[in-house]
Amino acid sequence: MLPTLSILLLSLLAGTVLTFLAGKAARWVALGTSMLFLLEVGALLANFTWPGVNASGVPQYGFAESYPWITLPWLHISYTVGADGISLPLILLTAILQLVTVVYSFEETRKPAAWFGLVLLTCLGCFGVFISLDILLFFLFWELVLIPMFFLIGYWGGLNRRYAALKFFVYTHVGSIVMLVALLVTAFYSHAPSFDFAGLYGPAQALGVTTQVFLFAAMLLGFGIKFPIVPFHTWLPDAHVEAPTGGSVLLAGLLLKLGGYGLIRWGLELLPTGLVHDQPLLYAVAFASIIWGSVIALAQRDLKRLVAYSSINHMGIVLLAIAVDSNLGLLAAVLLMFAHGIVSALLFMVAGSVHHTFGSRDIASIHGITPRTPVLSTMVMVGSLASLGLPALISFPAEFGALLATWDRIGYWVLIPLLLLVVTAAFYLWMMQRMLFGPMEGVPEGARDVRWPEALAMSLLVALTVLYGILPGLLTNVIIHSPVYGLP
Amino acid sequence: MFDPYNIFDWAFLVPLLPALAFVFVGLLGPRLKRLEYGGWLAVGFGGAAMALGVTLAAEEMLSPGTYTDQQYTWLSLPGNGSGAFPNGFSLVVGTLVDPISALMLIVVTVVGFLVLLYSIGYMHQDRGLPRYYAELSLFLAAMNGLVLSDNLLEFFLFWELVGVCSYFLIGFYYEKPSAASAAKEAFLVTRVGDILFLLGIFVYFSTYATRGAAGGWAANGFPFVQGNAPYLAGAMGGHSTTLTIAGLLILGGAAGKSAQFPLHVWLPDAMEGPTTVSALIHAATMVAAGVYLLAVASLFLGFTPTDQLAIVAIGGFTSFFAATMALVNPDIKRVIAYSTISQLGYMVLAVGAGFAMVGLYHLFTHAFFKALLFLAAGSVIHAVGTQDLFKMGGLGKPMRITGFAFLVGGLSLSGIFPFAGFWSKDDILSSVYGTLATHPLYWPFFLMALVTVFLTAYYIFRAFFLTFSGSAPRDPGLGHAHEGAWVMTGPLLVLSGLAIVAGLLPFAHGFGSLLPGAGIPPNYGSTDLLLSGASLGLAGLGIGLAYYLWGNGRVFALADSSPAQPVRRLLLRRYYMKDAYDAVGTRGVYGLARGADFVERYMIDGTVHGLERAFAGLSDRLRKIESGVVLDYAAFLVSGLLFLLLFLLVIGPWVASNGGL
Repeated sequence: MLPTLSILLLSLLAGTVLTFLAGKAARWVALGTSMLFLLEVGALLANFTWPGVNASGVPQYGFAESYPWITLPWLHISYTVGADGISLPLILLTAILQLVTVVYSFEETRKPAAWFGLVLLTCLGCFGVFISLDILLFFLFWELVLIPMFFLIGYWGGLNRRYAALKFFVYTHVGSIVMLVALLVTAFYSHAPSFDFAGLYGPAQALGVTTQVFLFAAMLLGFGIKFPIVPFHTWLPDAHVEAPTGGSVLLAGLLLKLGGYGLIRWGLELLPTGLVHDQPLLYAVAFASIIWGSVIALAQRDLKRLVAYSSINHMGIVLLAIAVDSNLGLLAAVLLMFAHGIVSALLFMVAGSVHHTFGSRDIASIHGITPRTPVLSTMVMVGSLASLGLPALISFPAEFGALLATWDRIGYWVLIPLLLLVVTAAFYLWMMQRMLFGPMEGVPEGARDVRWPEALAMSLLVALTVLYGILPGLLTNVIIHSPVYGLP
Repeated sequence: MFDPYNIFDWAFLVPLLPALAFVFVGLLGPRLKRLEYGGWLAVGFGGAAMALGVTLAAEEMLSPGTYTDQQYTWLSLPGNGSGAFPNGFSLVVGTLVDPISALMLIVVTVVGFLVLLYSIGYMHQDRGLPRYYAELSLFLAAMNGLVLSDNLLEFFLFWELVGVCSYFLIGFYYEKPSAASAAKEAFLVTRVGDILFLLGIFVYFSTYATRGAAGGWAANGFPFVQGNAPYLAGAMGGHSTTLTIAGLLILGGAAGKSAQFPLHVWLPDAMEGPTTVSALIHAATMVAAGVYLLAVASLFLGFTPTDQLAIVAIGGFTSFFAATMALVNPDIKRVIAYSTISQLGYMVLAVGAGFAMVGLYHLFTHAFFKALLFLAAGSVIHAVGTQDLFKMGGLGKPMRITGFAFLVGGLSLSGIFPFAGFWSKDDILSSVYGTLATHPLYWPFFLMALVTVFLTAYYIFRAFFLTFSGSAPRDPGLGHAHEGAWVMTGPLLVLSGLAIVAGLLPFAHGFGSLLPGAGIPPNYGSTDLLLSGASLGLAGLGIGLAYYLWGNGRVFALADSSPAQPVRRLLLRRYYMKDAYDAVGTRGVYGLARGADFVERYMIDGTVHGLERAFAGLSDRLRKIESGVVLDYAAFLVSGLLFLLLFLLVIGPWVASNGGL
């Protein structure tokens, strides 16, 4: 059996290192690396078979590898990796967003080697998180993601970039610590002899109710800051506003998914009793994020802030779908994370291109751009319509599943997210009305439509938005090969 | 399984052909040598879709039945024997042809083709022609898909897609702020209905799915299979409250799409779009989808008596309410738009009273005479460049075909014998009248519908006389009006023919199988005759009054001191409902959002900043020592690693040695 995942990790690592060293050729190396990685991930998906659960009910993983790493008298830490239906769509998302980010920023001129290297390093960290099945390994990759993102915001960002970078770092790092403590306590309380997922699985699930309730709540806080959940969300709009476009794409598209993935993998799977007893808390937090994200987005003038708050709303729906603890809910949560990754990436690219083209992202001062920039306007429309959940585009099947699962478990409470869908539609339509339509205003003389790398990157995302919107089965048939299958 | 020798298995082409036109015209249209070529391409695809659609309908007439073809599993969840969906479920996208969908296919493909053709003339000067044809083709694809849906979720999918096409086409002249605003309003108001519809789907879905396997529903979502209503009523046995709520939610969805009170406000504003769009989407097809939904739901899902009363009330009231607003409006398109709302109210009334087929009968005839009225109005607007009735006048002479078409449409709308509208409207009135003995609560709504006959005849002939009678336009600037090209007059004549004969459908041999139960009731008696006479009399009275006040170029002006002035103002301001919605929806919710944003910036983030300062004067240091940032970052990273080490080397062994906590 080939060490498939390690090969992928190493190839990405090699590409990243080469990119850092490549100087002026960095963008070509980065492009090659990310295309190769996407091909590899495609092959991974094509060859994926899920081994199911073993005799004692512990879930098994495709492409599993395990090597001892640190052996203490009382604890074994290992390099254990594997993939299942939860992680594979997110791995695919990593590969896709890596490629489109490289393409979008293909003409980056400020320290291109460092830029492309850091982009690749961020994706490497995310890939590592999605395949790690050992607490220490998971944590190392988790922390690894922060560093390149910190520099991407801190060097290539806007005027207030240092404040935003530090705020991002402090928030997510506090989250990391809480998460780490929760994971370690889970491990020690369950008397597991090892840090790897399979070894923890049975003992952690057998933990007492009170312990699980506290641990799950701690994980909600730790992973939730990455989501981000209200009221620990204020780092997100600031980080997005200051981040360069590529940084925003990775931040919204991938980094937020780390929180959702972690909560499923280490929370829902290890502490199912904790989740069930924490449901009131989870619902409250999810509803707060859904309402707050959507309502505040309505008041934004900066296109990027608007998209950032809509992310908070969408990730609230992801949390809700996890919280309902059903097979349909988990399926929808993973699908929605993928969908949001694609759509928010598209929307942040759109916001970036609006900024490049018009020198501003202010919805209140740029009007009627459609005749001048028809391509960009089309992208704004597709992104907005996808984000507000139009059928035949990618978010709809995911949101439909999430809301149906919510209805199934808590009945008419589903009216809260349903009604907020109207508000979500309202802020996107309002933004389109002001920016795209009406008489042209605030458009500089020389403003031209998007350049080819930007158009190409956005077109790829539009194509995926339509493809997966019409054929969501391509993803759901992968996602069900996971613990989704076992949930009631 | 797909059988190439079975015509019904090719039904998927009816939505697919316009979808291809959307792709071709959207991508190639702007690059073609002449913009009309893209239009003709769309006309060609639309014509092919019409040929297939009409063929399918003809096949359905010859051998009535339900023909399904499930092409594709859209989403599936395997069952694991426990939880809410023990058998799992798969959501299928397929086609279903049955009598009522065949009927709808005729409406959508025929009116769709005629509008595509007419638009070649109407839109010929517009630079956005490729965009127009691409969007219109996408709409036709979605609308055909909706009609052919074989389950409720697929129905909803296409329901949303026609909504977004409507959004784009209302906002077609996007440089006009009023058009952009009307498009947004239409989307948002119908979205409120859509949300209710979606929740209704959830209610049916889970109630059904948890309950069992019979009929294959759990496996397939929601096939519209004949005879499911009794099954569902049985399955929900003691759950009539649930069934009632589900029915009301479906009504909510239908009210949004079909512009029924209180979600009617968007339709008059939707007249900002090209008149062709109003004819196709906002008269004949999309707005009728709500009625179609109610009909489908009443046939296959079933309504409780409470639901029925609610539907009757909404329909009857809307028919009257909208007609009153049409009485005074100075805009030719808006008069017809209010008329559409009012006529949709009739259909809703009929479906609510339990006569789905009668409602669809009126939908069928209305599609033709209302599209005719809109296209005739479009012809006028194309010729004179204004929509203001008070500037027009005397157009009957230079525009004989248009005038004739408008007259036919008006007579049909007024329900004059033997035009199409007479048969279907009469069928509604006599059917509902028949239920009054057992449902006395229907009385007020029946009376509203009856009075509306008079109002309808009055307002449409007011518009007719203002436009066509007299010797010359009241605004002298409109002197050179002339008839449009054959692509415009041709569809007008075809639709005029349909507006005359479409009412005879249920009486035609074979054709009648598409509308079982509609037409003259078998026990047509003296009461029905009296009712027909009364409604004809009311219509005649309305036309007479219109002639007296507006005929021969007369313009009736209400005296300023007239006690009717406040009523007129109330009607012109649309009962202040739009103002109220704007106040609540726009200012209220937006104000709330601004308030929340304030809380966000100064209280939530403010607290965070306070904490920062309390801890280490972080933000101060941030501003002063830029190089300190990296140190901070390093310090944080080290702190994380220290934490890890602490656990690994101290707490862990301690816990382990004590046998756990």
